Amino acid sequence: MSHFALTVIGRDHPGIVAQVTETLYRLGCNIADSSCTILGGQFAMILIISHPQYDSLESFGEAFDSLEESGLSVFVRVLQPGGEASPQLHGEFCLISVYGSDKPGIVYPVVKELGDRQINITDLNTKLVGPPERPVYVMMIEAILPPNISLEQLTEVMAELKAKLQVDISVRDITPVEL
Amino acid sequence: MAVREILYYPDARLKTACAPIAKLDEETGVLIQDLLDTMIDSGHSVGVAAPQIGVSRRAVVVDVSGSKLGRDNNHGQLVMINPEILEQSGQKIMREGCMSVPDYTGNVARAEEILVQFLDRCGDRRVIRATGFEAVAIQHELDHLDGLLFLDRISSLKTNLFRRKKR
Repeated sequence: MSHFALTVIGRDHPGIVAQVTETLYRLGCNIADSSCTILGGQFAMILIISHPQYDSLESFGEAFDSLEESGLSVFVRVLQPGGEASPQLHGEFCLISVYGSDKPGIVYPVVKELGDRQINITDLNTKLVGPPERPVYVMMIEAILPPNISLEQLTEVMAELKAKLQVDISVRDITPVEL
Repeated sequence: MAVREILYYPDARLKTACAPIAKLDEETGVLIQDLLDTMIDSGHSVGVAAPQIGVSRRAVVVDVSGSKLGRDNNHGQLVMINPEILEQSGQKIMREGCMSVPDYTGNVARAEEILVQFLDRCGDRRVIRATGFEAVAIQHELDHLDGLLFLDRISSLKTNLFRRKKR
């Protein structure tokens, strides 16, 4: 069965999820993984979907036109076979909090250090908070450490960055406990 | 005795409230030994509840002494029959997973400290005060006795750091 990545974004209001999933339900699509959230004033949906017969973008025809007409932006991408399967992620999970007075160049220097060390980011969100005259930038990263990097090593790397970027950074273990 | 298979959700026995154990007979002895054998065999496990091996009776075993988080603060191997939480206080959020719900984890807020009463393996009444990871593990296992999974307790999606507390 072919799988597709569907993203939908539009000005937030109640009923978007119902509208989108009604369309999918009527088409006979399955929703596998999905994540939906408010970003700024927008509601953003990312879904992995499948359909027993559909195998290309053309299969959807004009199915999403009504969503577009109601002000949502819809994008569909065909996944390569196997692209729907979650990878087995092993290693220590950590959460990195980065926050400080808002300024350009906070995200990239932090995530570059992670990428350079093959530290896999599994979740990342950023938010601008605080009063307009003193905005504070907050970034939360969940990542998995490869076996050759310890939490202590990552903490050291982040401590250096903290001094360089003049932001606060803390790192902690959030490896789930299996009970 | 025996290492038993851990049941996976949607097995209905995981969503069933368990009956108290009326007397500590041979059957109870076998159940307790099976719970311990199953917990030890699964290596990483710090606790098993009777319904997880298909027995709808109020018994759990917990042992956090071998885990990094519980090593320094625990009561060793606990056999808890008809356990009951008498008091609870504080709050601790941990990312929990469960052998009966593979491949899913979520943030669960539980009491940081509990006073729990139970019968031990010999039928003696015990009351212990557990804190930290041991308290979390006990609460997780006790939930199984009421047909509750950690999925019923998830308090936030991912990080809830942006949500303000209700005043």
